[in-house]
Amino acid sequence: MIEVRGIHKSFGNLHVLQEVSLSVDKGDVLVILGPSGSGKSTLLRCINLLIYPDRGDVLLEGLVVNRPSIRPEWVRQQIGMVFQSFNLFTHLTALENVTLGLTKVKKIDRTEAVRQARFELERVGLADKADAFPAQLSGGQQQRVAIARALALDPKAILFDEPTSALDPEYIREVLDVMTELAHEGTTMIVVTHEIGFARNVADRVLFMAEGKIVEQGTPHEILEAPNQDRTREFIGKVLS
Amino acid sequence: MKRETTGFVTSPGSDRLQRRGATLWRRALFATAGAGVAIGALLVLRALGSIGLFNVAYAESIVPPLLLVARQTLLFSATVIPIGFVIGFVIGWARTTRNWFLRALGSTYVEFFRSMPPLVLIAFAALISFFVVRRFLTFLDPFEVGLSAGTLALALHSSAYQSEIVRAGILSVSIGQNEAAEAVGLRKSQIMFAITLPQAFRVSLPALGNEFASVIKDTSLLSAISALELSFLGSSLVASAIFLDFNLVFIVWTEIALIYFAITFFVTRIVRGVENRFKVPGLEAAQL
Repeated sequence: MIEVRGIHKSFGNLHVLQEVSLSVDKGDVLVILGPSGSGKSTLLRCINLLIYPDRGDVLLEGLVVNRPSIRPEWVRQQIGMVFQSFNLFTHLTALENVTLGLTKVKKIDRTEAVRQARFELERVGLADKADAFPAQLSGGQQQRVAIARALALDPKAILFDEPTSALDPEYIREVLDVMTELAHEGTTMIVVTHEIGFARNVADRVLFMAEGKIVEQGTPHEILEAPNQDRTREFIGKVLS
Repeated sequence: MKRETTGFVTSPGSDRLQRRGATLWRRALFATAGAGVAIGALLVLRALGSIGLFNVAYAESIVPPLLLVARQTLLFSATVIPIGFVIGFVIGWARTTRNWFLRALGSTYVEFFRSMPPLVLIAFAALISFFVVRRFLTFLDPFEVGLSAGTLALALHSSAYQSEIVRAGILSVSIGQNEAAEAVGLRKSQIMFAITLPQAFRVSLPALGNEFASVIKDTSLLSAISALELSFLGSSLVASAIFLDFNLVFIVWTEIALIYFAITFFVTRIVRGVENRFKVPGLEAAQL
């Protein structure tokens, strides 16, 4: 489904990604762990071409997409993204946030877009908040609207960039529940998170990154309970303590 | 579609209705108070007039000509504000693009027009157009063309200020908004018109209102190239009145001040109306 082959990315002198490769099959959940500054967010942004890698390939269903002949918008509308700071459009209601992509990108007519958007809001348990503006919603509710916004475009995969890191502890549960539900429904997901519990219970594979490189990857059990590398063991120990 | 919000704001529908009722009451109160003050002032002036301290006849006689030229002031403002806004908007946007050439062009424009005194710009515009008309376009009226050029010069001057207001508005929209819009798959132009500009515009409105109010008064500078507007007529009225009675000078300038106030108040009210339309629930500033 999604494959990354040996990508490199530098910002000035900072070599953020070094020879990173991964692949995610349809319906799989990949969790990426790693300390801050290890390049996790940059990796996610390379997958939906918010950032273009300097070298290496990004493949969507076997097609190399980081080349000039392919419009990034075409790639992005097929891969949803959920951000750490929600990034809901502040001047639009929850419903309008969800319909925007449907009407402007997919060119679906307004009534049908509203119907679909209401359905997606229902899925994340926010049908009653359709007409609220982001500033009137709690962090957890905003993040769920953001998930509905990503779902509405019927993406082939959804990228989550630390979706619970900006949330008050009381709201983390509701967002993780929605994500778990999606995983069970067979949504392909790549999740950058520090929620070890989510990685253990929901992930099909776990990948550990540090200093722009993949240190190791494997099943949740292999990485979380019996890591091979000292670097991984150290990190897991810190996060769990 | 009815906007009904629930949750943190409890039953906002009734809340909004209540607020609208309160606003109506407050407006009625203000209007009554304003009318009261105006009538009171007139009565006081009549009383002063009856004991010979205030020349009622003169005060009344200059009202019709002043209102007539007030239309010119309004006309100049109604030309300068929209032209200044459109150009200001384009320049402000140009200075936030990634294209270095557009940015450089915009910066040069702003630096030039901001550092020129508007009076000098108006004079130059009039002089150049006089010259061109005399030399090449003799069938045109040099005075008319000079006045149009002067008005345009004022609009360009204002556009430089407005472009900075628009630029500040655009810069206030967080990078996350742009990133989220890109992630949804919107094209650059769609992001600009659906996401960035609506949010930037909302933030820019108070400062734009400020600039509009200021530029209305700047139209008085057009009197330098013999535009028949409020300040020009004011000066000529004063010039003749001062020989009759020094007190008349106060009457002239007071009436002119009142007309400027009325025009400015009218324009800033419109801006306030637009501001209310663009208000986003939950994003109101803290009420101190």
